[in-house]
Amino acid sequence: MKLLRNLAIAAATVTALSSSLVQADQLDTVIKRGTLNCGVVLDFPPMGYFDSNNQPAGFDVDYCNDLAEVMGVKSNVINLTWGDRIPSLISGKTDVVVGSTSDTLERAKSVGFTYPYFVFKFQVFTKPGVAVSTFDDLKNVKVGAALGTTYETEYLAYAEKMGWGKSNYTSFKSENDAYLGLYQGKVDAIISTNTNIATKLQTNEFKGYVAGPYVPNYDDVVGLIAKRDEVAWINYLNLFLVHQIRDGKMNDHYNKHFGSDVPADLIQSLRDNK
Amino acid sequence: MNYEFHWNTVFQHMPEMLMGAFVTLHVSVLSMLIGIVLAVLLAIVKMNNIKPFSYLATTWVEIARNTPALFQIYMAYFGLGALGIHLSPYIAVLSALVFVNTGYLVETFRGGFQSIPATQYHASKSLGMNSFQVYRYVILPQMFRRIYHPMTNQFVWSILMSSLGILVGMNELSGETQRLQSLSFRTLEYFIVAACLYYLITKLVLFSAGLASKKLFKGEI
Repeated sequence: MKLLRNLAIAAATVTALSSSLVQADQLDTVIKRGTLNCGVVLDFPPMGYFDSNNQPAGFDVDYCNDLAEVMGVKSNVINLTWGDRIPSLISGKTDVVVGSTSDTLERAKSVGFTYPYFVFKFQVFTKPGVAVSTFDDLKNVKVGAALGTTYETEYLAYAEKMGWGKSNYTSFKSENDAYLGLYQGKVDAIISTNTNIATKLQTNEFKGYVAGPYVPNYDDVVGLIAKRDEVAWINYLNLFLVHQIRDGKMNDHYNKHFGSDVPADLIQSLRDNK
Repeated sequence: MNYEFHWNTVFQHMPEMLMGAFVTLHVSVLSMLIGIVLAVLLAIVKMNNIKPFSYLATTWVEIARNTPALFQIYMAYFGLGALGIHLSPYIAVLSALVFVNTGYLVETFRGGFQSIPATQYHASKSLGMNSFQVYRYVILPQMFRRIYHPMTNQFVWSILMSSLGILVGMNELSGETQRLQSLSFRTLEYFIVAACLYYLITKLVLFSAGLASKKLFKGEI
């Protein structure tokens, strides 16, 4: 009888334990699955783009591959638009989005942010012959930006504060469409990130175009995003980002995509914003 | 599903959503009205084989019905843009919707016209009416009565298609939804509210069209 009782206790304990073990979190899920589904916005060079072989490439893609490598799983890069980033997380299509997501407190109510992994400046990019030397000169020209980006929000907030109204403003579905609109002359200036503008200036299409003033008093601090309740997973991602800097990986990728070592103030800004 | 809905952020931005809904309603009603006028003309031209306009009508119908609306909107905005013709997002979407509505309605109207016996046309002529009067007083009232239901289908379709305006940065309901959800990332909430608004707009338009038809057709529908 004693044996039976002990067996019953053991069985109950195992059941209780295993039921608490059943709650696998995202970190376990990815490791068990053997594949990391990593979302990247692939029309945002040099962070994410398609290379000449039509393969995903860029700083963000390298981060996805590094993350998959340290986890010992395969990397599956999934192409997203700006607007797809959150739906893809909620629907479980991606485990993490390395997508230059600005870490606003409003958004943090909806998704979980890691430490920042990059800091952008928002910059005005104008076609030749348009005189925009300060941000306030935008008042007199047609301005565009990609829909649902933080620079769109920042511009619209600034325009409202200055009483410019919305009639001069055009939004575009994607980053590429915004550049296309500028190229065709639909708008005189667009707002984008300094990194993307620097990349575009090297192409033939945008020869003679001008990288203008920065959006005043704004650093675009961006993080990786994951489901808000996956705290352990976000912890892991945070440590991964710390290691990217400590192990020199970030510097390697920066050299590859921007042609120089990571500026000290960028590293400092990442540390300050933790 | 493990998801907590936060509705308050959507309610805060409700005025912007409603403004977007108004633009949606506006562009689709206008595109439908212009489309009806153009389609009547093209259908008459096509049926009576009046050259060279009948060629135009045939080409129009073929392209409008056999290419995606998405492509047409993109062509109106970026396609014409490459030629140096810059339409505002609103005009680009309006003209693309007029184009596609007209294309579909021409065929609907042609069916309607053909269902009316040719003898009526000749009989009216023998009463001394000119062609315009025949269409105005005899043919068109009957034709519209017969194609009323297919026409409202096209109306609904045009409201739903206007959501493609997001492609060219138009601030209609879908565009506003996308912009607002990017502020707070409460995607599901915004999409659900947008879907409800589309439903309401469609029902509103169908209801108004029903009222108008009662008045116009004196209940015989």
